[in-house]
Amino acid sequence: MNQKKISSKVYSIAKSALSAAILPVFLIYIMMDKPDYKIMNGLSKIVLPVAEWVGNGITWPIHAIGDATSSIRELSNLRTENEELKAKLSEAIRQKNEYDIAISENQRLTRELDIIRKTPQKSIVANITFNNNAFSHSTFFINKGINNGIEKDMAVVSFEGALVGIISDVGVSFAKVRGLTDSKSNIPVRIAGSEVYGFLQGNGSDKPTMGFFSDPEFQPTPGLKLITSGIRGVLPDGINVGEMSDNKDTKIILPSSISSVMVLKFDGKDKYK
Amino acid sequence: MIRNIGKFLKNTFPFLSVLVLWHLSVQFWNPAGILALIPIFYYSFIKPTDWFTLYAVIFCFLIDYKFDTLLFWTSFYCLFNAVNGFQSFVDLTKQKSEGVMVFMAYFATSSLILVLADWSFIIMVRAFWLVLWSSVLYVPFVALAKRINND
Repeated sequence: MNQKKISSKVYSIAKSALSAAILPVFLIYIMMDKPDYKIMNGLSKIVLPVAEWVGNGITWPIHAIGDATSSIRELSNLRTENEELKAKLSEAIRQKNEYDIAISENQRLTRELDIIRKTPQKSIVANITFNNNAFSHSTFFINKGINNGIEKDMAVVSFEGALVGIISDVGVSFAKVRGLTDSKSNIPVRIAGSEVYGFLQGNGSDKPTMGFFSDPEFQPTPGLKLITSGIRGVLPDGINVGEMSDNKDTKIILPSSISSVMVLKFDGKDKYK
Repeated sequence: MIRNIGKFLKNTFPFLSVLVLWHLSVQFWNPAGILALIPIFYYSFIKPTDWFTLYAVIFCFLIDYKFDTLLFWTSFYCLFNAVNGFQSFVDLTKQKSEGVMVFMAYFATSSLILVLADWSFIIMVRAFWLVLWSSVLYVPFVALAKRINND
């Protein structure tokens, strides 16, 4: 009995010693492997899909109930939605004619001014699988990865073409996207229709902060549209980012409000990283 | 047959509960599957289970990956594990209310570090909510765990 107690105590101390010994290893690793943390991210690409796969298997009844509930809710809203969509469609057709004229006028001006704008080579449609919004961190997972041609630092946009985030890590069949509200997110933007540049900084809240304007005399007002500036070469120029809601905060598309996104792939040697 | 299934569920409950809570992450109620820390804490320190420590470390790592906190929760778990193992003043397995106060202290301290690392009022409110919510949920989880284990 006494021997059993002693061996249990020895086991407990050995376990604690191992836990204590691993801490400096973590510290050294964090200092050495930054900023990419290849070992950690590589390990997660093996462990995460396995855990997700097993988790999906176990929690399928919960998912099935959730899916059934949302399907019933969708069905009950279908008629109202249909009427609303009909009204929106007729309004959209009317607006399209105006936009067609504006687009052709814009193309003519672009040709005359010799402006070269990057257009995406292709877009990859992906579903948002997990939204990991916690404290100041805002990342989400999509169900497309290396197998679908997704690379780190690609732009992720909504179907309306608004920037939602940037790919921060890619697995074989999934990718992690850093949202614009993440405190590590800092996007160079431009006020649409002007040459005023600035940075959109995530702050953990739903509305990222706009600051560091290139023109110190510029007075931001609500309603101003923001687009990517392409200054750092990370993102191409001209992707819609959002709209200023006051002199600092910016209204953007939140990943929690959408279920699918598009990952934009650009070609050319000078493609953004 | 039913008895075997019952026995299997009883043995696997600590592991399954972590997996399910981590997997069912929802933005407001369970961001990044953080509620998985409840069974991780309970089965590591209050009711130690064989082979659970390694499993807990893996899931702390997975929480870190979803949370984007770079080994923070893993390091904090290892630190707490080390401190708890080396000391003999407090026996966590014999705490009142199955150690809910210790869990609160554990979760609140780690959350406070995260909040201080990236301070803002809204983040503080979120952290406060999470500490409160996870502590409230700790009680029914422990009741369920005890019922399953026939304690």
